[in-house]
Amino acid sequence: MKRVSQSLVLMLLGGAVLRVSAFSNAYLNYVKPGFRPFLIAAGAVILVLGAIGLVKEWRRSAREASVRDAAEHAAQREGHEQGHEQGQHGHDHAHGPRVAWLLCLPVFALFLIAPPALGSFAAARVDTPPPQPPQVVGAYAPLKSGGPADMTVGEFIGRAWGDKTKSLQGKPVRLTGFVVPSKEKGQWYVTRMQLACCAADAFPLKVAVLGASAPPENSWAEVTGTWIPHKSAKVPLGTIAPELSASNVKRITAPAEPYE
Amino acid sequence: MSGKATIDWSADADSPVPPDNWGRRPARVGMPWGFVAVIALLVAGRFVLAPYLTSPALQTWATIFVAICVQALPFLVFGVALSAAIAAFVPASFWTRALPRRPAVAVPVAGLAGAVLPGCECASVPVASGLMSRGVAPAAALAFLLASPAINPIVLVATAVAFPGQPLMVVARFAASLLVAILVGWLWLRFGRADWLRIPARGRDGDSKVGVFVAAMRHDLLHAGGFLVVGALAAATLNVVVPREWMVSVAGIPVISILALALLAVLLSICSEADAFVAASLTAFSPTAKLAFLVVGPMVDLKLIALQAGTFGRSFAMRFVPLTFTLAVVVSTAVGWLLL
Repeated sequence: MKRVSQSLVLMLLGGAVLRVSAFSNAYLNYVKPGFRPFLIAAGAVILVLGAIGLVKEWRRSAREASVRDAAEHAAQREGHEQGHEQGQHGHDHAHGPRVAWLLCLPVFALFLIAPPALGSFAAARVDTPPPQPPQVVGAYAPLKSGGPADMTVGEFIGRAWGDKTKSLQGKPVRLTGFVVPSKEKGQWYVTRMQLACCAADAFPLKVAVLGASAPPENSWAEVTGTWIPHKSAKVPLGTIAPELSASNVKRITAPAEPYE
Repeated sequence: MSGKATIDWSADADSPVPPDNWGRRPARVGMPWGFVAVIALLVAGRFVLAPYLTSPALQTWATIFVAICVQALPFLVFGVALSAAIAAFVPASFWTRALPRRPAVAVPVAGLAGAVLPGCECASVPVASGLMSRGVAPAAALAFLLASPAINPIVLVATAVAFPGQPLMVVARFAASLLVAILVGWLWLRFGRADWLRIPARGRDGDSKVGVFVAAMRHDLLHAGGFLVVGALAAATLNVVVPREWMVSVAGIPVISILALALLAVLLSICSEADAFVAASLTAFSPTAKLAFLVVGPMVDLKLIALQAGTFGRSFAMRFVPLTFTLAVVVSTAVGWLLL
């Protein structure tokens, strides 16, 4: 790999990282929102390293050209300037590691595939339910009566499974998520992926929606409804998705922050 | 003579800017044809291929691949910068003073020192290589390499958050990871051969410090970054291709379940700051199996294997990776049996 190519690949990669972090919200499809400053810093450092390399290379070649000119002059004047700037090629990094070409691959993935946030394909792959949330006394404030309460899918599951006060009972709530079809008839899942760090560790949080026809798979929806308590106390908590009886399903555009 | 004449950044610092040869035709730079081809592919692909690259499986794969790269890059840049700073600004004599002279004692000290480097495993590989190039005993640098991603405060706090009400999990993770790091260090000290390990040479004395810093950072970033991409490719592919149910179906069998989660940790290549949350979600498994997941993950995983093979050479990785994996499984089984 030529030194110029090394610098250009670094600039390409740094530019791509800056493009998804500093100049758009695309990074939210891959990592948590709080990660943005680190991404911008990393992209800037990579870009600057590439730029420094290019400038250096420019100067080196200019110097080489001047040495050659000087050598030509010297040859005419029976040179006394020979050997002035030798050793340019003594450095062994002129041909860098070939593996560095692979740094172009993330750029290819970003520009050609433009990977979207994980959706129903990824969510359907994981069939195990999320872990039962820890039992924390008094962690859940009672829901106010009135209009439907907006809450995250994670909070709904937590209240459904881990709340002894049954604060969900009879209270209308509104959940936002994307649509995942269910194997069982007459229901579908409103789903949100949960990230711990990046999309590689994403985990689907699913709530089964009953009593409403499903919007197209992978589209985003706002589901208003009430919790259906487990009919049988024998079913251990955390083995099946909690259920919601839907009164209203509204299709919406995908939110900027696709993960919980 | 190599000192002044090479592309030394500072050598030109006092020269008039622009230099008098500015603007002359650049000689012998040559066209970077490879890069031109990359750009041509990008532009052509954008118009020709992009409309067809929409299958959900491919998109999921790409999302995970990009996520691993994007997530690891800041840590890699941080690690590479730290490593380059060690090579450029910290004199070699510092390490001989800071670490005990006897390598057998230096190994546990270096392992414990891993607790202060906040970051995940991508940062620790270049830092360990920087330490070795500055004369730190390889065994001690390896103990640092293994310990730092597992026992630093950020990772321990994340573990405590992921396992509420189970403080012993944090203790067990710390103890088992440190123990594995020290044991591997000692074994390497006793049985390791110098020619298995490729230690990158650095820091020629003639160059300016900033010049050494920039050159080292550039080289490491290109090198380690390339191998990071290899690891991310493998991890994303396995993440999408291997169904998780295969793993979960063996949850009930005692020894197999530990091996299964240890293997899953290798395949998934999750950052050590996030793996506790994934471990907590594997509810079907015993605490000991989860501990094995937490101990193996930061020490052996696909992107780490690629990084280590790239940094220290293939003959190193061939020996180091199986040794670490075996010890990590054995030690976490023992610690889990004792504590959990």
